[in-house]
Amino acid sequence: MMSRMHDIYRWGLLALLLAVVSSAAGAEDVSARALKLYEKHYYEDAGRLLRPQLAALDSASQPAARLTLGMIYLRSAELYLELQRTALVIETDYLKKLSAQKGANASRYADFYLGQALLEDGKFTESAKYLQRFSASAGVTAAYKSYANVELGAAYWRSKQAQKAGALWAAAAASTPEDKAALAAAYAAAGAQEHHPLAMADAAMDEAKKQGKPIGAHLAGNLLRAYADAPEKALDLLAANEFRGASFVEMLGQSKSISFYDPALLGDLAHAHLRAAVLYLEQAGRDPRLGNTAAYFLIDAYLLQGNAEQSLRQAAAFLAQSQLPAQYRDHASSRQAAAQYLAGKRQEANALWTDLAEKSAARPELLAEVMLSCTQASADCAKYEQRAVAATETGEGKKYFSLNAALGKYYLLRKDYAKAVLYMEAGRDKANKNKIEANDPVMLTGLAQAHYHNKKFSESLEIYFEMSKQYPAVRQIQDAMQGIYATEQRSAGDVKIF
Amino acid sequence: MKQISIIVVLALSVLGFVAGESQAADLKKTTRPNGGTLSYGEYGRPATLDPITSNEMISMRLSELIFNGLVGISERQEIVPELAQRWEASKDGRTYTFFLRKDVTWHPKPGEEAKPFTANDVVFTYNIMMNPKTITPLKVRYEFIEKAEMLDEYTVQFTLKRPVLNALAKFSFKIIPRHGPSNPLYLTREDNFVQHPIGTGPYMLKNVTADREIVLVANEKYFKGRPHIDQFTAKPFADQNILTQALTFNAIDMIVLVNPRSIAEIQGDKRFILQPYNALSYSFFGYNLRNPLLADKRVRQAFGYAVNRQEMLDAFFNGQGTIISGPFAPGSWAYNLDVQPMPFNTQKATDLLREAGFKPGADGIMQKDGKKLELTLMVPIEKESEAVKRVVLAFQNYLKNIGVSVKVEFKEWQAWKENVFADHSFDIIFASWVFDDSADISSLFHSAEIGPWKNNFGSYSNPEVDALIVESKLTLDHEKRRTINRKLHALLADEAPYTFLWTLTNYSAYHKKLQHVAIHPYKFFSYADDWYIPVAAQK
Repeated sequence: MMSRMHDIYRWGLLALLLAVVSSAAGAEDVSARALKLYEKHYYEDAGRLLRPQLAALDSASQPAARLTLGMIYLRSAELYLELQRTALVIETDYLKKLSAQKGANASRYADFYLGQALLEDGKFTESAKYLQRFSASAGVTAAYKSYANVELGAAYWRSKQAQKAGALWAAAAASTPEDKAALAAAYAAAGAQEHHPLAMADAAMDEAKKQGKPIGAHLAGNLLRAYADAPEKALDLLAANEFRGASFVEMLGQSKSISFYDPALLGDLAHAHLRAAVLYLEQAGRDPRLGNTAAYFLIDAYLLQGNAEQSLRQAAAFLAQSQLPAQYRDHASSRQAAAQYLAGKRQEANALWTDLAEKSAARPELLAEVMLSCTQASADCAKYEQRAVAATETGEGKKYFSLNAALGKYYLLRKDYAKAVLYMEAGRDKANKNKIEANDPVMLTGLAQAHYHNKKFSESLEIYFEMSKQYPAVRQIQDAMQGIYATEQRSAGDVKIF
Repeated sequence: MKQISIIVVLALSVLGFVAGESQAADLKKTTRPNGGTLSYGEYGRPATLDPITSNEMISMRLSELIFNGLVGISERQEIVPELAQRWEASKDGRTYTFFLRKDVTWHPKPGEEAKPFTANDVVFTYNIMMNPKTITPLKVRYEFIEKAEMLDEYTVQFTLKRPVLNALAKFSFKIIPRHGPSNPLYLTREDNFVQHPIGTGPYMLKNVTADREIVLVANEKYFKGRPHIDQFTAKPFADQNILTQALTFNAIDMIVLVNPRSIAEIQGDKRFILQPYNALSYSFFGYNLRNPLLADKRVRQAFGYAVNRQEMLDAFFNGQGTIISGPFAPGSWAYNLDVQPMPFNTQKATDLLREAGFKPGADGIMQKDGKKLELTLMVPIEKESEAVKRVVLAFQNYLKNIGVSVKVEFKEWQAWKENVFADHSFDIIFASWVFDDSADISSLFHSAEIGPWKNNFGSYSNPEVDALIVESKLTLDHEKRRTINRKLHALLADEAPYTFLWTLTNYSAYHKKLQHVAIHPYKFFSYADDWYIPVAAQK
């Protein structure tokens, strides 16, 4: 994975450098600095550095800067999607534990957040059950009951009960900025443009500003979702707020408090970044010097969006070039196969993957590409798996990191967590164990999830502890995992001097 | 609340019963080969080899090979039977009855028949552990037990003063034989038993060589089945760099804890496997609050601001670790993520000293009421690795920059422990604690733990901290315990009884000939009886 990222980066950088040769020195500096941060996987910092400078750059430098931003947001989106997958697993486990507790000191709000988490995870019926239970419970605020009804509407909408959803939304309070933002988010997620979610979100934001209210995590999360079709607004919101705080802290007496986080947040961050990636890459692609480079990244971006046809078009355009370096052709081809598979052209996809796998004898990174793209497409990867396992058994060293990591990801999705850890550990730079500069954070996130399933909670927490320095939104995963760990740990209370 | 605890206890007891029945007869049925020897390198030497008097990791790892508890903890965090075949918990969570295996014998003394393990040994262990004259850090962990009684030869019952969270896991303490210690009432470090332990575990002490290597041999009559590897030898090293060299030159087969600076070198060597394990640990400078100069928290806070932790971590440990802010490791469930480490800020450090009434003297050393801020930093010589030496010298230099004179004294390991834990004749120490995952810091900071050979060596006493620690022990609510620990973290970070430094990356390294290696993150050798060496690779 790491070597893939480096390769992509270098090639992108080469094109970019060519493009900026004629640009002003200042513009080159800021793009180059952003790319250095990108190479270290500091996507948040990279975006924060470059985007505010964009408007001030001269027109010649703009395309290269937009390409850079597109690359940054693409990888950021990829990471947040992985984080979201992990968060849903861990937070659901944690919230279910909280929800199952009874008695005076049990949480009253766990059902609401569990309902949200299940909604986010596509379990609409189960989600509705918890949201209804929350709405009917005593001792919770009217505002939260109102939010719960909006979320219940979303659960109905997504389970194709539009009438019930509409009734709940129509009855929902819209008196505070928080109410308005919650409704706007629900309408935006449902694609109900007739309710003008964007305008509602703007109104909520203006009202909050007028009231001098800080944009809390709950409000900000809903605004982010409401700005689904306005990536620039979403990015402005992200730039102005730190998304790590709890959405709500429930106090249960003097000595007990529980922090709840918005289960949709990481997914919303991913989608905001992905939309921004597509926006900037498309803009960069209009420059004839950068069109091919942008296409290369757009193959991945559209694929992540689930837009297989667009991805295929970009792949065709990119691969039509002559004299492409083999590794870039192979990366694009492997993603083309994934797009073909998702577009229903399974025979073509398998033929392409097989062809690539057969060419991979001395190139573990190519086999890694095949495994990754095949896994991403949820295809049957058994025959590539066998080849990949055999390759890792005979080969060692950094050259095989990417293949081991790809195999680990494959086993993670197949829920074979022991093998997932085995291979991802083999793909980890141990001299920089948890450092995202040296290890792809997407791989570390997968590894952390596998450790979680194997009940190696502290290994997992250490990964997130390091990651949180650059990505504070992982706090919600940390907090949920600490909660599970506190319940599951079995030890006697020992401490020794080293 | 009580009802919840009863449900938890009942659920555990049912699980335990089922597990006990199913695994009691789980003797080794594998076809893995027996034979071969394993030499592993330790950074230092153990003071004692028994599980009661020691408070250090090297002894604890050896204890794991030599002894067993009533219950064990599996890799999946499940409570599993060990010396107890099964158990029952009362509905009120206050009585635990353990039904013992009848096929366990103690390691035989030379020339004697092996003696059977019975309930008598369990009661004996508990009583000797809790005897006020026994020197052990374990007492605080078991104060929740009211009494231990033998119901019959193979049944023992513990009555608890109150129900506690995770009670069953606490019965994993190691059992020693009644016929072991020469004094049947209490155990001291002078007793022959602490150097010549007798256990029930997979390995038996054979001898300690002139080079202080500790040789253990397979217990042929181990109740879980003979361990596969014939012999384990613990080899002491005074320097972590030499440990790495010993591994690469095949003088040893395994390093328990790899020097962070050597990880890249070992990762590049195809003969070895690097295995991460997360012993929850951290390093710190600890202060003796008996010294009036250090009793003022502003002085201790000033030291925290004066040291550049990131610079030290990067320069001396290749950045292989994480800066911490308080008394828990970052991988722990108890770590308070809202508390940030003190930043490096010499101006703030100086301001705090001035606020505490110190002014620079003619020689630049801060002083107050005619007393110079001159302190002694005590470092054990066996831990005198190059990195440790650099850390303490850097600390000396950082403090010099704010007008504090630190004299570094290197002491032989035993002398260091006596100075720190028994005599308390020190000002500052550099050391590391390693925790199991219970996040129990009571022995470190509760005022009842001040005294000879107790872990609160610095005599830290704060009623608020004491109250929180007690509240944390009394609660049966996991979330409440988390909240209390977060408060403790914030409070102790501010109080600065230690300057909390970092947690380092933990890797074990071993030769590829070792197979089926699973490592317990704290006890390390818990599953070592399943390790094996293929015949072709046996020396």
